Amino acid sequence: MSSGARHVTGNVVLARGIQLAALGVISMFLYVATRAAPESGGSVGTIASLGYILLAGTLVSELVAVVRLPHVTGYLLAGIVAGPHVAALIDERSVANLTTVNTLALSLIALEGGAHLRTSTLRQGWKSLSWATLFQSVFVLVCTTIVFLALRPYIPFARTLGGTAALGTALLWGTIAVTRSPSATLGILAETRASGPVMTSTLSLVMTSDVVVVVLLATVMVFARPMIDPTATFSLHDLGDLGHELLGSVALGTTLGIVLAAYTRFVRTQLLLVFLALGFGMSALVAYVRFDSLLAFMVAGFVVQNLSRQGEVFIQAIEETGSIVFVIFFATAGAHLDLGLLRRLWPVALTLAVTRAVITWLASRAAGRFAGDTPMVKRWGWAGLVSQAGLALGVAALIERAFPQLGSGFRALATATVALNEMVGPVLFKVALDRSGESSHTPRNTSPSLPSAETAAAEQDRPAGM
Amino acid sequence: MATRNGWHEVTPLFLLMGLLALAYMGSFLAGDRRIRGFGLPSGAEYVGVGFVLGPSVLGLVDRSLLETFDPIAQVALGWITLLIGLGFGVRGRARIRGRGAPEGGGVVGLLLACLVSIVSVGAVAGPLFYAVTRWTGLRGEERATLVAGAALVCAETTRESVRWVTERHRASGPLSSTVARLAQDDDLVPLLLLAPCFALGLATHVPHIPCTMSVLRWALATLGVGVVFGGVAALMIGREVPEGAADEGIDADETWGTLVGLSVLGTGITIRLGLSAPSAMFAMGIALGTFSRHGKMLHAMVDRTERSVLHPVLLLAGARIHLGVTSLPLGLLVFVVLSARTIAKGLLGAAWQVSSPAARKAGPMLGMGLLSAGTLSMTIGLACALRFPGIVGDAILAIAAASTTFGEIVGPFALRSSLRAAGEIPENPQHVSPGTGAAAS
Repeated sequence: MSSGARHVTGNVVLARGIQLAALGVISMFLYVATRAAPESGGSVGTIASLGYILLAGTLVSELVAVVRLPHVTGYLLAGIVAGPHVAALIDERSVANLTTVNTLALSLIALEGGAHLRTSTLRQGWKSLSWATLFQSVFVLVCTTIVFLALRPYIPFARTLGGTAALGTALLWGTIAVTRSPSATLGILAETRASGPVMTSTLSLVMTSDVVVVVLLATVMVFARPMIDPTATFSLHDLGDLGHELLGSVALGTTLGIVLAAYTRFVRTQLLLVFLALGFGMSALVAYVRFDSLLAFMVAGFVVQNLSRQGEVFIQAIEETGSIVFVIFFATAGAHLDLGLLRRLWPVALTLAVTRAVITWLASRAAGRFAGDTPMVKRWGWAGLVSQAGLALGVAALIERAFPQLGSGFRALATATVALNEMVGPVLFKVALDRSGESSHTPRNTSPSLPSAETAAAEQDRPAGM
Repeated sequence: MATRNGWHEVTPLFLLMGLLALAYMGSFLAGDRRIRGFGLPSGAEYVGVGFVLGPSVLGLVDRSLLETFDPIAQVALGWITLLIGLGFGVRGRARIRGRGAPEGGGVVGLLLACLVSIVSVGAVAGPLFYAVTRWTGLRGEERATLVAGAALVCAETTRESVRWVTERHRASGPLSSTVARLAQDDDLVPLLLLAPCFALGLATHVPHIPCTMSVLRWALATLGVGVVFGGVAALMIGREVPEGAADEGIDADETWGTLVGLSVLGTGITIRLGLSAPSAMFAMGIALGTFSRHGKMLHAMVDRTERSVLHPVLLLAGARIHLGVTSLPLGLLVFVVLSARTIAKGLLGAAWQVSSPAARKAGPMLGMGLLSAGTLSMTIGLACALRFPGIVGDAILAIAAASTTFGEIVGPFALRSSLRAAGEIPENPQHVSPGTGAAAS
């Protein structure tokens, strides 16, 4: 290392040290404030929590980057430490209030995910994607179902189930195992700015699996319902609803994509506010008409990328707008992690998480062999599929509501398992991108909505009227 | 969905969309560094729209719905005052540090602006105290809060209005520059005095604070929190960034995350402790701008967000105006306040003409040109309405809105006349787009 490089590294380490100390001071401040005035209203607590999560998430992500951990891990760590189960700087009510940001974050994630899917790339890799989707869906579903059945004696709520009911429950568990995390995937991609076959295949598969999970869940629920509830009858009504939902989502997403492409082409400014309006307003509309918001936004992003020339500008705008939103999203997810639950269920949850990772790896190897993937994809293609987050938790919540016979145990176990995958998955994916040489070290450009200091200062110095 | 007067009431989602649309408009107006291409100088039209949509007129937005947006309003007020603090005392490319500050003004100009503010506050507080004692049943802390709050909302001459006049009419000269500096520097007094004002009525409005500090200590604690947060922000953001450090992750996202995070956290903590968030955030802005090596860059970075945040706040403030304060003779109090403020500004203008050769030719309307109110008045008014819910807070906000509206009618017109009389506005100016004025730059 040259002396100049050592100097720069030294300065950065010093800066991080100062930041850590400053964060400590602010944390003490918040600690004293929460203890001195514990009976304040919920909204006041939420304001302070939002600020702290944003600050701590931003700084901790930079600190963990020194040891080459992904930013997402930093956000999660900041949330876990600040959350109600560790330092209790943020109470549970504030965490619940902050989850409204999820709506915005998920819409941005879906938009960006769709915009990353290029038809040219998909055409080149359709064979690989098809095999990977088949194996990562069917093989993972079957194997994780078997594992769940095998572990049944050790799972409190499944121990008492009869054979058929246990099979139905295991199928539902298998469906959760198929879900991936578009948010974690895009979070890592935004940080590493990776490009290459591993990135492309992972992203394509993760975004496709979102659609697959929607279909799979509806199908499995049709079959699992009479297995778990003896009074229920077999009905294809759910599948009809699913067809309407999928078609409607695609139609709505296409329309939205055309509008966004036109806006990006002719106006382009203030995309931040447009995304905010979309994230809250459009999401509410999509929910009202009972379409799938993730699919609709993904299609919209896909349309902007592939039916217009605005794809790159659009992706850049989302990345820059999403930078702050993602911090809040992941840090809130960290604060939401129930460590007490994890302590109680960790042996089973760990076993399920590890076996899922192994099954995902096996599925990836098999799919790679059939599709004739490059050695790099064969070796690292599985690593980005381990992450799970909001989508998996959403599916678990939906299953809990649809099958109250299972009680809260099913969702609790899912939450504990997802927590492990949430922590480990992003690290694995970043390692994969680094090792495969696809990570970029190019610094990000700055946002049109949130200008950098240098840009803004330069503009201020510019004579008026230029 | 419930209806009132045949209108469907607005849901939180629609209100949020409306606020975002306003923010969108605000960002367009602020684009390309143009202050006001069209619309009213003070932004009073947004207050008016909010008032019409609110519970007092059409009832499209009811009070309980507005209260769900209180946290957003609190954060926005914190951000606006942080921006004011960050830009406070900035003269062109530098911040005031002594008498030799660039482009003149310096500490002397700052002291004069403070004096003008104090005179305005005092001139309103005296008659209003008498009026409240004479014609209302308010006594003790309630009376003190109402008088103090109403006086503080009358202290400013809004800089937006001054910039609007000087830019639109290409005003250039010593008087224009002095008025522009005065309008910028007179924010100090009301924002500082708001800190002790929030110490009033603690037992009623923040009963969870077991505190027996004196008003002075309360104010110092408020400003102390702001200074600590500003210092910490300077440490986190304003460090010397080594060349090539961008490759290692020091980027604009981090700066935004840190600055927004600290601002929101600071606002939340000060509200939680019962302190004045606008005062603390103002102090934070000054401390950050003073301590940070990158104060100018930070100011430039965040300055363009002002309109995007301000317009929704003005709309919310307008919607919160509640004229049904039946136990108070609100019209009479507003009349007293506006009369006192007008006389005070008139006298200040006369004194200015006597003491300054540049102002001598401006004519008798110069004092009236200082009547414009806007951003700061409504910010303080809304902060008081949030902190002192009930008749006192409602009355302060209504007085702020009245002062803004009256200032809008009189201020820009009078200032333009004065500057023209002083020869600082060309006789036959071409129609110019805003953003080209010299005085406001």
